[in-house]
Amino acid sequence: MRSRSAQSKTLIGVAIIVIVILAAAAFMMRGGEETQTTTTQTTPQTQATRTTEAPGAAKEETQATTTTPAQTPEETQTQAPSERVVVVGTTDKITELDPANAYDFFTWEVLSNVMAGLVTYDPDTGEIVGDLATEWKAEENGKVWIFKLRTDAKFADGTPCTAKDVVRSIERVMQIQGDPSWLVTEFVDKVEAVDDYTVKFTLKQPTGYFLSVVATVPYFPVHPNYPQDKIVADATWGGCGPYMIKEWVRDQKLVLVPNPYYYGEKPKNDKVIIRFFSDANSMRLALENGEIDVAWRTLTPQDITNLQQKGYNVVEVPGLFIRYVVVKTDAGPTSDKLVRQALAAAIDRQEIAIRVFKGTVEPLYSMVPAGMWSHVDVFKTKYGDGNIELAKQLLAQAGYSEDNKLKVELWYTPTHYGDTEDELAAVLKEQWERTGMIEVEIKSSEWAQYVKQLGDGQFMLSLLGWYPDYLDPDNYLTPFLKSTANSWTGTGYANPTVDDLLTKAQVATDQAEREKYYIQVQEILAEDVPFIPLVQGKLYIVTQPDFKGLKVSPLMFLIYSSLEP
Amino acid sequence: MAGLARYLLLRALLIIPTVLILYTLVFVIMRVIPGDPVQAALGTRYVPPEQLELLRERHGLNDPLYVQYFEYLAGVVRFDFGESLVIEGRKIADDIKDRFPATLELTIASFIVSVGIGMATGILAAVRRGSKLDTAMRVYSIVAYTLFIPWLGSILIMIFSLWLGLLPTHGRLDPRISLEHKTGLYVLDAILTQNWVALKDALAHLVLPALTLGIVLSGAYTRLVRANLSEALVSDFVRAYRARGVRERRILLHALRNSLIPVVTMMGLQMAILLGGAVLTETTFSWPGMGSYLLEKVEARDYTAVQGVVVFFSFMVGLISLIVDAIYALIDPRIRY
Repeated sequence: MRSRSAQSKTLIGVAIIVIVILAAAAFMMRGGEETQTTTTQTTPQTQATRTTEAPGAAKEETQATTTTPAQTPEETQTQAPSERVVVVGTTDKITELDPANAYDFFTWEVLSNVMAGLVTYDPDTGEIVGDLATEWKAEENGKVWIFKLRTDAKFADGTPCTAKDVVRSIERVMQIQGDPSWLVTEFVDKVEAVDDYTVKFTLKQPTGYFLSVVATVPYFPVHPNYPQDKIVADATWGGCGPYMIKEWVRDQKLVLVPNPYYYGEKPKNDKVIIRFFSDANSMRLALENGEIDVAWRTLTPQDITNLQQKGYNVVEVPGLFIRYVVVKTDAGPTSDKLVRQALAAAIDRQEIAIRVFKGTVEPLYSMVPAGMWSHVDVFKTKYGDGNIELAKQLLAQAGYSEDNKLKVELWYTPTHYGDTEDELAAVLKEQWERTGMIEVEIKSSEWAQYVKQLGDGQFMLSLLGWYPDYLDPDNYLTPFLKSTANSWTGTGYANPTVDDLLTKAQVATDQAEREKYYIQVQEILAEDVPFIPLVQGKLYIVTQPDFKGLKVSPLMFLIYSSLEP
Repeated sequence: MAGLARYLLLRALLIIPTVLILYTLVFVIMRVIPGDPVQAALGTRYVPPEQLELLRERHGLNDPLYVQYFEYLAGVVRFDFGESLVIEGRKIADDIKDRFPATLELTIASFIVSVGIGMATGILAAVRRGSKLDTAMRVYSIVAYTLFIPWLGSILIMIFSLWLGLLPTHGRLDPRISLEHKTGLYVLDAILTQNWVALKDALAHLVLPALTLGIVLSGAYTRLVRANLSEALVSDFVRAYRARGVRERRILLHALRNSLIPVVTMMGLQMAILLGGAVLTETTFSWPGMGSYLLEKVEARDYTAVQGVVVFFSFMVGLISLIVDAIYALIDPRIRY
């Protein structure tokens, strides 16, 4: 048997070895700079690229380093004292920094700040204006669209952005067939560069709202480094927008600096840093501790109220997110239109907004959100709010009574839309049962299962939400009401008149004419009730009390270039 | 020593079936739970049916189950845990490479705190057994052990960040500071690159999470050290030392060495658990480690990521258990190889 002192030495020795092994393992796993997602750009001219198997054309020009050659040793550790830096906090995540596959709110916001499209939305008027394109025209009744590009647009390394880049990028989206590629493939048959600064789109069919579609991220030209056939999740080459990506550490920080070659107005800051938080509480504490300037999506309603009381600047942004009930129209008791109308009449949206969402949402009376052109409060006009008497009359006409109650099932999914979902279901049940003629059974299933059941048409009534892909009434109506596009909702709704009106609205190029069709569609929606709109979301941005320059695009994206530290 | 080597080799080989069993379990569970992973990852975003089919094809979800099983296994052998279902083109192995060092750093720091506090309080309690100090230490151990991490974390943030303004609330490094990442362990990176601004900041960021986790874990050490040391202090050899007039401090040291064996065993087990990621601590402090990663991926329904992480965890737990067994075998001669 060994002595105790020998034992203790062995113990210490082994403990040290364990720590050294683990440290070495971590070191080896990092594999030096080659396998890091931390990417940094050196100078605009010699754009550094992430080096993980940069495929195809993606040849790195310099090794990724963390400092710029021009920086002094002092600057390598902290930013220059005069730098105007804005730190924005979010609980959102970035998925892929690649327009070919990014299909979520926050990544689209970031890409909208580092890239530019042919057209964009004017943040003040909400109208579509030229961005890379200076002029455009529709030919053959909206089947052919020709865009003239500006000649001074350049990527962050000084490479000119031409019609070829636009065509290459859009063809790339079509070839990769990523999640949002349908926004291109459903519309575009062919895209070609007529000359260096002219792009011609030939569509599959005339599309009146094509400009709204072209304003979406999949149409943004990307730097030639993006490989033509592969999605690069951590690409930092960017496009020709106001910013370029200087540093990207997944789920930790994204550092943006102005693109020196940007053709538009120079940003009002020298650097924007996005910080990623795991929950709303840590983001709130970081704001209170002065670690971030702006707290963006998403603080809790309680945090927002508290911060406002403490003197922080709270800005309300009208939301495009809508919540609604999907109603099954082709089977069961809800296949009776009178029943669907009664359900719509009994709902009190004001009560839902206050009781469930604490006033952070607005009541919604159409599938097209309030504030968007063509919106009409059709459900309010037809049924009012919480109209129990009308609901009773309609139910009586359908053959139901207090002795012979209508039995319905309401489905919800517990976590996907936040903690309020069970309460929303409970309040709806309460409102419907106020008629004394409806008996509601609430059921729930987890999101993965829920989506499948929904598509299979297994739900009589179910709760769902929608955020638009492009800013046009079409995106709030066609996916729901057009019989060829709404199978995913499981409603089974098909109305040839609606199909016809939606097709006409898609083809027409005159907004007044389209508006007329969309109003008609909304009126039929309120009559047929395959969906019952409930509420429209609002977003909140909280900033330090003296912070200026908050500007949000009509798509609700924060415009980084206007932020003033 | 040949016996020990053989024993360790056998133990190392045992990791393989452990990982295999766990992988098989995860693989089966992932495939029997209802719902379509691709559709679940997409949510309500509209994607035409033919494209959904393409996505399933791309992720190999249309292949027969046995093909999926063995293809993934072949990847795991090459440290390839597949690609994320939610973040296209992003390798799970890259995520682990990014996240694991954060967990390792927090593990080491909180380990030092917990062992430090646990040993100190345990020794105090054992030496003054039956005194008020002993009672206080015992109460401490129970309170520390039962503390809810997000609560303690929030209290510490409130005191040290919001009131005193001494420490940052979350994260690993001020985003304004640049740091060259050599190992992913920020403190070590800062020392290696002589970036003293980053070192100070990284340490400041480490204090609260390490303290929170360390305090909670220290409770168990307090009890364990107290119990074992108390026992050792009344054992025959201590009485013999006393009879020979050996100084109390020296006696205490001997007794402590004797009582450390179970403590070391617990250290190893705790390290294995910590390396799996301290979910609550990481979430409270937005610490980008493995625990918060797993939680995010479960929430995002990124099935392949969850699968990859669980397989990685099983490796880690197997490895740490091996090391613990090795230590145990070295220090306890009663272990037969």
